[in-house]
Amino acid sequence: MHKLLKNKRTIFLLVAPGLAVFIFAVFIPIIVSIYYGMTDWGGIGKPNFIGMKNFTEIIFHDEAFWYSLRNALLLGAAFVFIQHPISFIFAIMIDKIGGKLEKVFRAIFFIPCVISIIVTSKMWVSIYDPQYGLLNKVLDILQLGALKQDWLGNPKFVLPSLIVILMWQGFGWALLIYYSGLKGIPEEIYEAARIDGAGTFKIITSITIPLMKPVIRVNIILAVISALKQMETVFLTTGGGPGSTSQFLANYLYVKAFNSAQYGYGNAISVLFVIVCLVMTFVLNKMFKSINAEY
Amino acid sequence: MKPTPKVNRAPIKISRILMIALLSIVAVGQLFPLVWLVNFSLLKSGDLFVSHILKWPDEPQWQNYVTAWVDGKIPQYLLNSVIVNGVSVLATVILAVAMAYAFTRMRWKLKKTILTFVLLGMMIPIHGTLLPNYIVFGKLGISDSYAGLIIPYVAFNLPLAVFIMTGFLESVPRAIEESAVIDGCGIFRIVFQIALPLLKPAVSTVAIMTFLNTWNEFIMASTYLSNDIYRTLPFAVYNFSGQYASNYSVQFAVMNMVAIPSLVFYIIFNEQITKGAAEGALKG
Repeated sequence: MHKLLKNKRTIFLLVAPGLAVFIFAVFIPIIVSIYYGMTDWGGIGKPNFIGMKNFTEIIFHDEAFWYSLRNALLLGAAFVFIQHPISFIFAIMIDKIGGKLEKVFRAIFFIPCVISIIVTSKMWVSIYDPQYGLLNKVLDILQLGALKQDWLGNPKFVLPSLIVILMWQGFGWALLIYYSGLKGIPEEIYEAARIDGAGTFKIITSITIPLMKPVIRVNIILAVISALKQMETVFLTTGGGPGSTSQFLANYLYVKAFNSAQYGYGNAISVLFVIVCLVMTFVLNKMFKSINAEY
Repeated sequence: MKPTPKVNRAPIKISRILMIALLSIVAVGQLFPLVWLVNFSLLKSGDLFVSHILKWPDEPQWQNYVTAWVDGKIPQYLLNSVIVNGVSVLATVILAVAMAYAFTRMRWKLKKTILTFVLLGMMIPIHGTLLPNYIVFGKLGISDSYAGLIIPYVAFNLPLAVFIMTGFLESVPRAIEESAVIDGCGIFRIVFQIALPLLKPAVSTVAIMTFLNTWNEFIMASTYLSNDIYRTLPFAVYNFSGQYASNYSVQFAVMNMVAIPSLVFYIIFNEQITKGAAEGALKG
């Protein structure tokens, strides 16, 4: 046994293929990105080494970069304070209903999550369209025609409109994770509480929420990180505009590299973006760990 | 998820009805945009400018779907999606099982370090690799093949897959494998014939997560692939918004067609997807 499980050649054969793919497509690109981030390369010709100039330029002079970061935080806040409380309550309701209906509702709320982002994004572009969009028509019917807007074209409304799309797209995921967590709470605990005369509200606040803490923690971390990583929906709906009002980091680096032919600069944003994601993940994990330790 | 018997139903009847009503209203709201999309895909393009929010299609315009199918190159893109996703899921599962086995059962010095290194990948956003990979893949010529998608898809799904597999393997008793070792089985037979069947629940979680992550993936596909013949299903929609910019019904039709395969897949594997997705997400 020992001999077989210590065989260096076997270990190499088991680990190397996967590790090679990972290093090739995830690790090396980051290194390449750091290199290009220190150049002024525009896509053609030879890259000139310019040191940290791109990085200082981004951090001290690039408004769009900070705008993107701010938007990500606003989106994260919307997830945590609007989407998650609703999905949590809905998960509890679905769990309580039971039987066939439970499955039906569970399935319905997850449907938007299995449909391609390109479909749901283009669909929302149509819903928000100022000429034929569904939203403006609904406002007309409700006699609220005065509120009609070019939802994605107006700098004041573009970010909230985008956040609505993203909350719609991710609602099913948040719900599903809470729902699965609820399924892990043994029914006997509820029964015991009910026998002791606890009402529904009391049960939720003093049993469900404390027991769900680990799930809530994971789900909130996932939500904030996904807000930070947001790109596809922005790319397919507003492209970050008008101006930088709905810009996000991942989309911004892409636009800089491919549309403005500032490939070096784009890579510098890319490196900062990866750093922000890593730091944020660590910070969130640490933050929640210390909260949990209190209990 | 086994059904748990609910007690004390009678006194909460009214609240139950209220809950069902509320859930139904929101469910309708959630699905209404999709209904709208289907509805107007069956109308003439100009019908979109009427004031109705829904309109009964007196003469359903099925040719919108024919146009979408043919000019959207749906058959070709669908085939590409099946190939790319099939290979990605298979490769992710095989590589993850092999790595997880080495990380949990074998004894070697660097295993902690390398495992941590791979798991770090869960935190790295794919977008941080778009620009460099675009250049590297282009230089190596893999942007002109299925490999240009399969390699990054596998690479980005591997960390989570390894994480799930190692977690699961640690909970599987070693007794069966040990007797296989005594019987003189080779290591690859042990990993793929004896350990793999025991790992079934973890394999299905990994397969589902990988599939959900890659089937609808769009941004890597649009960045890396230089040749249209390898492109995947989401591109049917993307190409159309330029070509048929003012023919909205046909655009809606192509959007529905792209949505259909994943919906069918979801309906068939509803239970497994619900379970697998939740497990994958919670562990990740």
